[in-house]
Amino acid sequence: MAQFEMTRSKPGTFVALRVRAKRILIVSEQGRYQFGSLDMRTFLSGPRSLSGVMSPLERVGRLIARLAPLVVWGALLLAPIRLRAATLTTTQTLKAVISPLGGLFSLPLSPVTLAKTGTAFNNYTGSLAINYRERTTQSTGGGTITVQATADFTPANGPSIASPPSTGDKLTYTCSGATLGTNCSGTQTVSTTAATNVVTFSASECTGGGGSCSTASTNSVTVNFTLTNDPKYKTGSYSATLTVTISAS
Amino acid sequence: MKKILTLVGVALLLTAPLAHAQLGSSSGTTTVTVAPVAEAALNITNGSTPLTSAGTNFTNYTGSTSLTYYIRTTLSGGSGSITLKVTTDFSPANGPSVTTPPSTGDKLAYTCTLSGAGTACSGSQTASTSSSTSVATFGADAHTVTFPGGDTATTAWTLTNDPKYKTGSYSAVVTFTISAS
Repeated sequence: MAQFEMTRSKPGTFVALRVRAKRILIVSEQGRYQFGSLDMRTFLSGPRSLSGVMSPLERVGRLIARLAPLVVWGALLLAPIRLRAATLTTTQTLKAVISPLGGLFSLPLSPVTLAKTGTAFNNYTGSLAINYRERTTQSTGGGTITVQATADFTPANGPSIASPPSTGDKLTYTCSGATLGTNCSGTQTVSTTAATNVVTFSASECTGGGGSCSTASTNSVTVNFTLTNDPKYKTGSYSATLTVTISAS
Repeated sequence: MKKILTLVGVALLLTAPLAHAQLGSSSGTTTVTVAPVAEAALNITNGSTPLTSAGTNFTNYTGSTSLTYYIRTTLSGGSGSITLKVTTDFSPANGPSVTTPPSTGDKLAYTCTLSGAGTACSGSQTASTSSSTSVATFGADAHTVTFPGGDTATTAWTLTNDPKYKTGSYSAVVTFTISAS
């Protein structure tokens, strides 16, 4: 059996029962009613409050209280979307400092092989393709591609750049097909002590993009080497290292 | 969140070098290789070699042919030679002949001298239309001494002055060959 007493709150709210039953019937003044599962205890926590019976309302309140920050954050996040939808003009200054720059993009990974063609003791010949990009300062800039033998032929008793077995032995080259800049002039002689010219760049030259620059995104030049075929070279295989350098100002 | 930020940071650090590589570098190296092998070449200095008789009657006809040569033989086990052969006998007929001389003992002979690498032929050699005869020989790791320009070889010719030769002008072709291994 249930023991109960009724307390009235504001009009339109629920009527609470002080109960001693596991299930009670709660009836509102509007005629709505519902069953509730209650312990054997009093649910009134204050004057006209309906703590036990108002538990669902409290849950809603707590839920609102929990959701409120999320709603605020959501509004803040959505605010830019609203702003974007509107017509808005703003300015942004972009500043790029374009410096003169030169870069070598590829040298063959395999060695440049100098080989003889034709009759006996024809000179050895071979070619080297260099891909590069270059940008020189307007009006006053310039740049170069150079080559230098940083390691002479080895082993000994073969060709040598620094100390050839015969006067007049040399490793020379010509330059052809530079798509940006000017090919070296005539025949150049490779040196171990000084870099020699391959391509010369003048002011305001640049790779790629067309217009005042080259149309190609990468420029190239071919270096055609010739090595004297001196009978004094002993038979065998000889190698030298050439360093190619690009510069821009 | 910290883990994600760390991962992003690491990714940026890893991709940074890639971006740098795309810019190219200011210098690069390449290796140039060459492999000299045995080879030889010669050049006959005088395009024709007149044989003349000087002095007393029926003195043999003499003359010389010079040539320059370049040779490189293999460092170990190589060799080389200069030889000659009469590839076209004297013509027209009724004059001297290497193949069928008018008299037994008539011959076209030569001696050799070298200025440079190699060993000259020994003594007097008799030219032949059927086989090559030596002018010079080379051993392993032989190299022309004079470069550029080439070493020089000379063959000094002697042709029998046989009274049976009819008067006139006769010519033969001699081919010189140089080889190296």
